Amino acid sequence: VTDPYRTSRAPAVASIALAVAGFASLLAIHLRGGGTVDWPWAPALGLRLHFELDGLGALYGLLATGIGALVFAYAAVYLPEHLRAHDRRRGAVPFFGALTLFMVSMVGLATAQDLVLLFVFWDLTAVASYLLIGFDRDEAESRRAALMALLVTGVSAVLLLIAILLLAAEYGTFSLPEIVERARPGATVTLAAALVAVAGLAKSAQVPLHFWLPRAMAAPTPVSAYLHSAAMVAAGVFLLSRFYPLIRLSGEVLDGLLVIGLASIAVGGILALTRDVLKQVLAYSTISQYGYVVTMLGLGGRKAALAASFYVIAHAMAKSALFLTAGAVTQATGAKALAQTGGMLRASPLLAAASGVAAAGLAALPLTIGFFKDELFFAAALERGTVWAVAAVIAAALTFAYIARFWAGIFLGPPNPAHADASPGPGLTVPVVVLAAGVLLGGVVVSPFLHLGEAAGAASYGAPTPGKAAYHLDLRAENLMALAAYAGGALLLATSALWRPAALAVARAGDVAGPARLYTSGLAALNDVSDAVHDFEVRDLRARIRPILVMAGVLVALGIAATPTGTYVVGSITSNDLPLALALLVASGAAVACVFPRRHLMLVLTVSAFGFSMAVAYAFFAAPDVALVAVLVETVFALLFLGIFSLMPGGVLRREAAAGPIGNRRRVNAAIAALSGVFASAVVWAALSRPASQQGAAADQVRLTPDAHAKDVVTAILADFRGLDTLVEVTVVFVAVLGMATLLRRGRIT
Amino acid sequence: VTRDSPLTQGVARLVLAPTLLVAAAVLVKGYVDTGDGFAAGVIAALGISLQYVAFGVEETERRLPVRHVPLLAVAGLLLALAVAFVPVAFGEPPLRHWPPADAEVIHLGTLEILSAVAFDLGVFLLVLGSVVAAIRFVGALEGPRP
Repeated sequence: VTDPYRTSRAPAVASIALAVAGFASLLAIHLRGGGTVDWPWAPALGLRLHFELDGLGALYGLLATGIGALVFAYAAVYLPEHLRAHDRRRGAVPFFGALTLFMVSMVGLATAQDLVLLFVFWDLTAVASYLLIGFDRDEAESRRAALMALLVTGVSAVLLLIAILLLAAEYGTFSLPEIVERARPGATVTLAAALVAVAGLAKSAQVPLHFWLPRAMAAPTPVSAYLHSAAMVAAGVFLLSRFYPLIRLSGEVLDGLLVIGLASIAVGGILALTRDVLKQVLAYSTISQYGYVVTMLGLGGRKAALAASFYVIAHAMAKSALFLTAGAVTQATGAKALAQTGGMLRASPLLAAASGVAAAGLAALPLTIGFFKDELFFAAALERGTVWAVAAVIAAALTFAYIARFWAGIFLGPPNPAHADASPGPGLTVPVVVLAAGVLLGGVVVSPFLHLGEAAGAASYGAPTPGKAAYHLDLRAENLMALAAYAGGALLLATSALWRPAALAVARAGDVAGPARLYTSGLAALNDVSDAVHDFEVRDLRARIRPILVMAGVLVALGIAATPTGTYVVGSITSNDLPLALALLVASGAAVACVFPRRHLMLVLTVSAFGFSMAVAYAFFAAPDVALVAVLVETVFALLFLGIFSLMPGGVLRREAAAGPIGNRRRVNAAIAALSGVFASAVVWAALSRPASQQGAAADQVRLTPDAHAKDVVTAILADFRGLDTLVEVTVVFVAVLGMATLLRRGRIT
Repeated sequence: VTRDSPLTQGVARLVLAPTLLVAAAVLVKGYVDTGDGFAAGVIAALGISLQYVAFGVEETERRLPVRHVPLLAVAGLLLALAVAFVPVAFGEPPLRHWPPADAEVIHLGTLEILSAVAFDLGVFLLVLGSVVAAIRFVGALEGPRP
C-alpha cells in the first residue's frame, strides 16, 4: 500500500544543492576579494544590472545561503510531517520553490548596486514571505498573517521607492555608489534617508511596525527560522546598512534609529518575558535583537558599524538554531507552549545541548560567538556615553532572562507525562547541532567571523572599521558590563513574581491600544470604502458613466468658449470625401439605432452594426489596418456576448429588458448624451476635416519604415518602433487570460 | 436556424481551412501589406470559434485537435519575450531587431526573415491562444437548462 501523503524529495534536494552551491561560490568570490557584474539593460533610463559582492553583500549572501542550506535540510524532514498534519497531499514544490525564491532574492538584494534592481529584489522578498507565511492556506490565521506581513512591508516599500526616485532626481543616477559619492548633507538626503529607514524598520519589525512578526508565526517553523535569521527581517537591517553612508549624513535620522532601536529592545524583551507560546517568545526576541542592531547603527561611529554587522552574524546562527529547536520539540511532542513542555533534557540530550549552546550564544556567555557580539556592542555604547552603556546592560540582561526562561522551560523541570519519552529524530536535530557548532566555533576562533563583520562594516560605513574581539581576563569595562548583564538577568528570573503582573499589563495594553489594533481598524475601514464604491458602480452602470460624459462635454464646451474666435475652424468637404461622409452617415444611423432596442440580443446586434459601419469609415479614411482590426474585434465581441447571454436564464434577461434602466431618468439621460455627443462631434470634426501635414513622430515612422525592412507602417510600428509597448500589451492580454482561467476554471488554461 | 442545423455545421466545416489559410497569409504578408500578427491571430481564432459555435465544445474537440490551442498563448508570450530580450545578452537594448537597418534581408517569396517577424509570430500565437481560450471558457461553462 503506497502512502498517499508521500512527497517527492526532488524539490528539497534541488533547493539544498542550490543553497550549498551558492554558499560555496559566494565564499570563493568573497575570499578572492569580491566580484562585480555590470550589464546595461535599459541604457536610455540609466538602468544597469549591477551586482557587486562587497563585504556587506558577502555577509548577507553567505547568511542567506548558509543558513538557507541548513534550514532547507531541516525542512526536507519537517515538511512531510507538516503536510500530513494538515491533510495535504502535495505542497513540496511550492514550498521549496518559494524558499528558493526567498534565498535568491536575498542574495540579489544583498549584492545589487543599482537602486531599481535593489527595489525589485526588496519586493520579491516580500512576495516570497507572503507565499510562505500563508503556506497553510486552509487556516484563516495563516492567511491573515500573510496579508498583514505583505501589507506592512509592501506599503512601506513604496517609501523606499519614493526615496530612490528622490535620490535619482537629485543626483541623476540610480547607481548607489555614485549617489553615495556625490551626496552631501541636506534636505533631500535627510528625507530620503528617513524614508529608507522607515522601510527598513518595518521589514525588521521594529516598534511601532513590529506587530506583523509575531503573527507571522503562523508559518511552518523552517520558514520562521529563515525569516528571522537570514531573510525577511534581516533584509530590513541590511537596507539600513546599505544606505548607511546616506543615513549617516543626517543626525536626525540617526537619533530616530536610536530611539526606535531602544524602544524595540524594551518592547520585544518585555513581551518575550510574558509570552508562553514557544515561537512567540522567539519572535519578540527577534524584535528585541534587531533593536540592538538598529540601536548600534543609530549610535554612529566605526565601532558601532562593525558591532552591528557582527551582531547580525551571531544572532542569525543562534536564532535559527533556537527556532529549529522549537519546531523539533513541537513536532515530536505536539506541545506549542512553555506550559506544556519541560524536562526534555533526559529524552533528547543532544538537542538540549545544541540549543543550550545557541541560547548561550544569544545570552552572550563566554565560549560562544555571542560573547563577542555583546563585547563589541558594549564598546560601541561606551564610546557614546555612560547612559547608553547602562541601556546596553539592561538590554543584555533582558535577553539573558528571556532566553534562559525559554531554554529552561523546554528542557528542565518535570517532564510532561503526556509525552515524557518523545524525542525528535536525527533529521530535525542535526541542523541544530551544526548551527550550535558554528556558535561555539565563533566563540573559540572568532577571527573569520570578525573579518566578515569588518568587511561588511567597512562597506556600510564607507571607511575601514577595524575592531578587536578577544577574551581578556581582567576587569575592563566590557567584562564588567557582561557580568552585570548576567547578574541582572538572573535577578530578573529570580524576581519574576514581582514584575510579571506589570509586564502582563504592558502586553495587554499593547493588544488593546497598540498599532495592531490601528492596522485592523484601518483595514476594515478601507474594506468598507471599497464595498461602497463597488456597490455604487455595480448597482447602476449609468450612474458611473454619467459623470464622465457630463465632464467631457462641459470641459470641451468650456474649451471652445475660452479659445479666441477664429481658432476653431472646420475644413471644407469636397466631392472626394463623399464615400467617407456616406459611411459616417450610416454609422451615425447605427449609433442612433442603438438607443431603441429593449431586448439584449437586439442591442448587441445593433452595437455590432455600429462597429461594422465604423470599420467601413476607417477603410475610407485610409486606415485599412484599423478597419481590419475593427471588423475582427467586433465579431469576437458579438460572439462573446452571445455566449454569455446563452448562460443567463432567459427569465432574467426578459425581466431586465422589460424593467428598463434603474431610476428611469430618460430626459436627463438624453440631455447628457446630446450634450457630450454634440461637443465630441465638434472637436472630432474640426480635427479630422483638416488633415494636418504629417509631422513629428508619425512622419519619422513613415520615413524609417524602409529601414525596418517593412512596407507596412502599422506593422513596423507594432513590431519594431513601439515594440516594447506591444510586448507589454500582449503580456497584459496573457495576464487577462490567466485571470479568466483563475475565475472560471480554477487556473486551468486548457 | 439552430446551432446544430446542418447548414451552420456545413458552412463551419467548409470555411475552417480557408480561414486558417487567410490567417497564414495575413501573417506572412504582415511586413509588406495590410494586417499583422494581431489580425492574423484573431482571424484564425474566429475560424476555430466558429467550430465551437456550430458543434459545441465536446463535439469540436473530438473532431479537431484544438483542445490545447490556448497553450499557444504561453508559447507566443515566450517567443515575444525571447525576441525582446535576446539582444540584451549581446549588450544591445531590448527589442533591437536583426538584421540591422542597412543589411540585406533574405526573402522567401514575400516572407522576409526578420526577428521582427518572429516577434509578430509571437503576437499571433498569443492572440490566437487567448481568443480561443476566452471563447472556450465561456462555452464550457454550465448554462441554464432550457
